[in-house]
Amino acid sequence: MTTAPSAEALRTLLPPDRYPGIEAYAIDGALPALAVRPANREEAARIIAAAEEAGLVVVPLGARTQTGLGRPLARYDVALDTTALTRLVHYEPNDLTVTVEAGMTLTELQRTLAANGQYLPADPPPSDAVTIGGLLATARPGAWRHHMPGQRDLVLGITSVQPDGTLTHSGGRVVKNVSGYDLHRMHTGALGAFGVIVEATFKLAPAPAATRTLGVECESLTHAAEVATGLWDLALPLRALTLLTPTAAEAAGLPRSAMVLLECFGNDAVLARCGEAVRQAAMAARSPRAGALPDEAWTKLRALAGDPSQVVLRLGAPSSKVAEVAQAAAEAGCIVWAHLAAGSILAVAPDLAADAVRALRAVARDRGGFLQIESAPSALRREVDPFDVTERTLVAALKREFDPRGTFNRGRWQEDV
Amino acid sequence: MRNPFRSQTADAPPSTALVTDLIAALGERNVLWRREDLIGYEYDATIERVTPDAVVFPLTTDQVAAAVVIANAFGVPIVPRGSGTGLAGGTVPVRGGVVIVLTRMNRIVEIDPRDRVAVVQPGVINLALQDACAKHGLLYAPDPSSQRICTIGGNIATNSGGPHTLAHGSTVNHVLGIEVVLPDGRVSFLGSRVPDAPGIDLRGLFVGSEGTLGIVTQVVVRLMRAPEAVRTMLGIFESIEVASEAVSAIISGGVIPVALEMLDQEIIRAVEPRLHVGYPLDAGAVLLIEVEGLRESVEADAQHVVAACREMGAREVRTAESEAERAALWEGRKGGIGAIGAISPNFYILDGVVPRTQLPKVMAEVMRLSAEAGFRCANIFHAGDGNLHPNIMFDELEPGATQRVLDLGGAIMRLCVDSGGSITGEHGVGLEKRSYMEWIFSPADLDAQARVRAAWGTGERFNPCKVLPTGHGCGNAHEAEMRRHLSTPGVYV
Repeated sequence: MTTAPSAEALRTLLPPDRYPGIEAYAIDGALPALAVRPANREEAARIIAAAEEAGLVVVPLGARTQTGLGRPLARYDVALDTTALTRLVHYEPNDLTVTVEAGMTLTELQRTLAANGQYLPADPPPSDAVTIGGLLATARPGAWRHHMPGQRDLVLGITSVQPDGTLTHSGGRVVKNVSGYDLHRMHTGALGAFGVIVEATFKLAPAPAATRTLGVECESLTHAAEVATGLWDLALPLRALTLLTPTAAEAAGLPRSAMVLLECFGNDAVLARCGEAVRQAAMAARSPRAGALPDEAWTKLRALAGDPSQVVLRLGAPSSKVAEVAQAAAEAGCIVWAHLAAGSILAVAPDLAADAVRALRAVARDRGGFLQIESAPSALRREVDPFDVTERTLVAALKREFDPRGTFNRGRWQEDV
Repeated sequence: MRNPFRSQTADAPPSTALVTDLIAALGERNVLWRREDLIGYEYDATIERVTPDAVVFPLTTDQVAAAVVIANAFGVPIVPRGSGTGLAGGTVPVRGGVVIVLTRMNRIVEIDPRDRVAVVQPGVINLALQDACAKHGLLYAPDPSSQRICTIGGNIATNSGGPHTLAHGSTVNHVLGIEVVLPDGRVSFLGSRVPDAPGIDLRGLFVGSEGTLGIVTQVVVRLMRAPEAVRTMLGIFESIEVASEAVSAIISGGVIPVALEMLDQEIIRAVEPRLHVGYPLDAGAVLLIEVEGLRESVEADAQHVVAACREMGAREVRTAESEAERAALWEGRKGGIGAIGAISPNFYILDGVVPRTQLPKVMAEVMRLSAEAGFRCANIFHAGDGNLHPNIMFDELEPGATQRVLDLGGAIMRLCVDSGGSITGEHGVGLEKRSYMEWIFSPADLDAQARVRAAWGTGERFNPCKVLPTGHGCGNAHEAEMRRHLSTPGVYV
């Protein structure tokens, strides 16, 4: 891509060390005209306002692990790297809330919180390397959604930069708040469509006393769903309850068998009780093998769900239909695992034809669910809408109100946005 | 009665063409328009009163859409309404128009124990849904204290909380999908039957929008499995400040109870002689604390709670030994507000939030401000969330008292904001707190919120003059001209 003269005008706005080389910022093979790494939100706001003025398209980026999510960009002028915005703005452990800047990594945040026996209960793909801004903008659920709230329910407030450079806030720092419209919910999962997130406040959870990963090998996915449903009904303190196809089990470093993989948490007595419940469930299901498994299984599944070299699909289905939908994805050649309570099915393959994706979307929709493409080559995302959204009119209207000139991530959402 | 928000006076005959069209679409039984019939829909559980032009009771989504289209054709405002228990004036028809009451759409369409969802119409009473779920061993978690009469549609409009919000979150955390009639009469579905639907979270934006973005006509809610064990405790303290310290001690120790409720001496003395639930009359304050989960964890959590309360100076910590004792302790909490009505001619309920570590300081200041203004103040609130509800007791017949109460309310809200908190935790902004919005949001923040309304096509007619202050989507509403009537109908928190 040749450097547009208009983007060049942004180069003098900030000190020279704020402009890294563009090579590291390729998205779908395209490079921006300019990359900027502002040192603070005011600098970010100046760049954004100037870009809007010049009619340039700004793409906010954090750890850059999920750039294959959404439609291919219609245009890419300025890469706005948020990773220098790393301040811990406010943390009062006794309130169980924290306010941080968007460029801080989840690793760094969890380290700070762990010192006080707390954590942010989110396990997004591919790992804790993601930034807080990316965590919110992509809103990808993980296995902990069995028990934990999603990002939308963990975020208490957001500060974002509008296209004209204005900083706006919504929500607050308190755990319960119904003042005004929850714009932080609108920004969460919006892939930067309505503003660049620069700061967020979260509700935290006490870190569990201990966790344990357990598994029950099963004959089939359907069998695993039955076993998992039985365990779900026991109201055990489970952070994750997941069905695995044999290939998914293998990818997680486990024996190649359909299985139920779960993570329980609590004190020793609770963990013992969960272990016993799993043993009994395994006996009742005549499972050949059940018991403790390595925690790394979760890390491996997370990494696979966030692997940019793969086609990654997330299908939604009501819990009772999860096994059917997962089976369909497995038959299409995917490595498949599914979080029962969240109705969330991950399907990963090195490559998938557009027709196969459309067919799987139909399977999910027929059962009251949906299919979202979480990562894929741009050609596939051009051919099949990565999102599965019925209400488009309101989304287009919101985009017109918040970003009328299409300064942020132009093309990511839909043709008319 | 004069309505300062409309050019015509309320004494003028109703727009007969409007009423005729509404009757044609909904049937005569489902439309009220005579002056005397409209009075009951002038107000909610707050203080403002304005008469609407017509009140309709749709039975179907299509009828809701039809009413919206007709109101649009006549250019009159639309105000959605459930049971009218709102505590912020959110359903007051400030500029008249058509009030759309959803209470006749009250069917539980489906409870699916396997998928753990329920599909309900907006007029279903919160407690009716909880009772229906209990038959399946399931739980719909949000439990506002008005749950015997408030509707699910109203809960969605205000993103209602309740005692169990502490562990389970507010209504928005339990709503998966919503069928809505949009301001132009179009029917849409926001969210999904499954969590984490793709795309922009329109569902999350809609919940808590106080009837300004559309009308809920059907809802998919998430259900939870009822816990294996529950333990309910009563911590008895010398003062509300000491009890507030214990709140932080319990939570910072790593145990989040499912409920952590504060009742002060005024409340105890109002409740106990009437309901005989076992609150000690000489206590300065009590904390009602509930933990739940597996038997093993409940035992450990309860021990932690007892230790934390004792360490912070609790005189005693009692544990409910039976389901009857547990029910009695909750009866006192749920009947607490009603009991204030028995000891004071009038009272004004406030709703503010502060970071929970600020509670001791803030509660001391609330008591000081009340005493200074010459009013008694009773406190019954969700301490674990830092969500306070001071109830200011007064007699509206005393000249000037009403205004002084409103001033005191403003001062307490200011105190919450200055302590890092918010102007409402669960009752909503409605009409009453619009002017306080500027205390917590900048003009740019409020403009951003107004853009949501603009995108939704809400205009000036869909629940006008709510949520955003004057100049952000609502013309010049002169609140001072409104008839203020501080009363005590069935108010709850």
